Amino acid sequence: MTGEAVTGRRLPDGWGFLVLPLVAFLLVVFVHPLISVLARSLSDPEPGLGNYAAFFDSPVYLDVLVNTFVVAGLVTLVTLVLGFPYAYLMTLATPFWRGVLMAAVLVPFWTSLLVRTFAWVLILRDTGVVNEVIGALGGQPVPLLRNLAGVLIGMVQVMLPFAVLPIYATMRGVDRRLLQAAEGLGARPAFAFWRVYAPLTLPGVAAATLLVFVSSLGFYVTPALLGGPQNVMIGELIVQQLSGVLRWGFASALAVILLVVTGVLLLLAARVVDLRRMIGGGR
Amino acid sequence: MSRRGIALAVTGLLVLTACGGGHAASGDGKQLTVVMWGGDDQKKAVAAYVEPWAKANGVTVKQDSPTDYAKFRAQVESKKVSWGVVEVEPNFAVTACENGWAVKLDPAKVDMSKVKKELVSECAAPLLEYAFTIAYNTKAYSAENHPKTWAEFFDTAKFPGKRGFWKYATGAMFEAALLADGVPADQLYPLDIDRAFKKLDTIKKDIVFYETGEQQQQLVSSGEVPLIQAWNGRIFAAAEDGQPVANEWNQHLLSYDQVVIPAGYRDTALAQEWLNNFLADAKGQADYANQSAYAPVTPEALQYVQPDVRRELPTEHEDQRAAIVDYTYWAEHYDEVTERLNEWMAQ
Repeated sequence: MTGEAVTGRRLPDGWGFLVLPLVAFLLVVFVHPLISVLARSLSDPEPGLGNYAAFFDSPVYLDVLVNTFVVAGLVTLVTLVLGFPYAYLMTLATPFWRGVLMAAVLVPFWTSLLVRTFAWVLILRDTGVVNEVIGALGGQPVPLLRNLAGVLIGMVQVMLPFAVLPIYATMRGVDRRLLQAAEGLGARPAFAFWRVYAPLTLPGVAAATLLVFVSSLGFYVTPALLGGPQNVMIGELIVQQLSGVLRWGFASALAVILLVVTGVLLLLAARVVDLRRMIGGGR
Repeated sequence: MSRRGIALAVTGLLVLTACGGGHAASGDGKQLTVVMWGGDDQKKAVAAYVEPWAKANGVTVKQDSPTDYAKFRAQVESKKVSWGVVEVEPNFAVTACENGWAVKLDPAKVDMSKVKKELVSECAAPLLEYAFTIAYNTKAYSAENHPKTWAEFFDTAKFPGKRGFWKYATGAMFEAALLADGVPADQLYPLDIDRAFKKLDTIKKDIVFYETGEQQQQLVSSGEVPLIQAWNGRIFAAAEDGQPVANEWNQHLLSYDQVVIPAGYRDTALAQEWLNNFLADAKGQADYANQSAYAPVTPEALQYVQPDVRRELPTEHEDQRAAIVDYTYWAEHYDEVTERLNEWMAQ
């Protein structure tokens, strides 16, 4: 019944108008600012494509853009590799341990980003806990700060809840008896897991991928504090242009470029995987 | 429902009216919004030289933080200015003045005769002085054996270890590089940026850039970056905290923060009144200096600063000063040098 109402082409009587406040809200807080950003990128300091030309003229800005996507991609990969088994463990654990695991993911999530980032600095620096342990064991200090490693560690920790929660939500909906059935038909446990269970968790994995990747693109505090000058992400550059140099037109152009490239990438992704299924629209 | 309901409704209405009345009353009263970099520093500053004046004059002080130039510009351009007096870097003060974002100060209302004329500009009065010093970790280097000039600071053979600089163009690293390369202090400006980059290239692999004052303290206290170009007050605070750090004052570069009033603020007269009071408030300035080790801008204030703190103020080391950072130069070249710095860092 409900399924029919939702998928039906014609809007059922007056209820459709309930969406109007939301549309108005989005127009005011989302569409309007977006248009002004676009307008400013084409008009400040003078009308034309000057800001975009400046972006493509300098190799540095392109490098920053590429670096942003590379870092976001790596963060997504590491987050998934860690988040998937973690979520699976949560489905197997007793309610008590599930609570503990959940808390372990969520408590850092509720802590200030700046505090967490500074905590990582203390842990990862050359004279920090990790390197002191390595030193005590007779090893050479490993550079973990002001480089890609630092950025990845900091960002993965921030992003982990965004991967674990959707994957766990999907896994909880998967009927574990399917595994028994597969094994009953002669599949080995590993085979049953990868061929029967894992594919059913794909919507969760896809949602996690999307969430983590897109959120990672906009990071700037973490890479600014944990990364080196080579790990600048575009968010940092936008803030610098906006608040430091006050080149608002150029900052707007950077924002537009980030948005467009992200959109294009998602469109390309949509050709490979079914995006609608990824965001949960599928049945 | 009726009687209780009505009683409740009436009470509610009364409360609302009372609130409304209260609002109107405070709206009539004088009010000044102070904006600084935030944190403990701002609390100390407001308590030392804003609150006493406000109490005496029946002014309500509001605060916001941190200073953000984008917000500043946005408030002025949208004509919804809520910030009254704003602590800024002097190059921004020049830019804001040129663009009409800041109010030109009225010499009849704000008396600047007591402060150094280098620290004053058309729209801005100085708030505090500080220095970019050669700070060092005292476990890595002793009071006798540490870099005492920028040339030695750049000499990684004689003094091994990482070097710290603030990651912004106005962080005085260009000035330091040119001094290290032998440019006479009185011929620093206009800066020869090409030459500065060449000098910076020689130690590039040893440079660690920091973003915040906390990072600055952390890097040098831990010994990770034993030599750092730092803000004297931050190093003093860390040393007071028992950290193994010290300032070398020789060849320091004097810098300062200024106060500006955004154009379109509704009570410009009150903001100037406070500013004028601040510049004459020797005790208030000294009170803040005692807590922060940032120097007062009015020389008269120095007599009220405790001797042990006074030793740590740039005002006591004028003979060791290389130069005052020239922010009119920076106002003009900040964008272009920032772009080159970005490029240089990313390579």
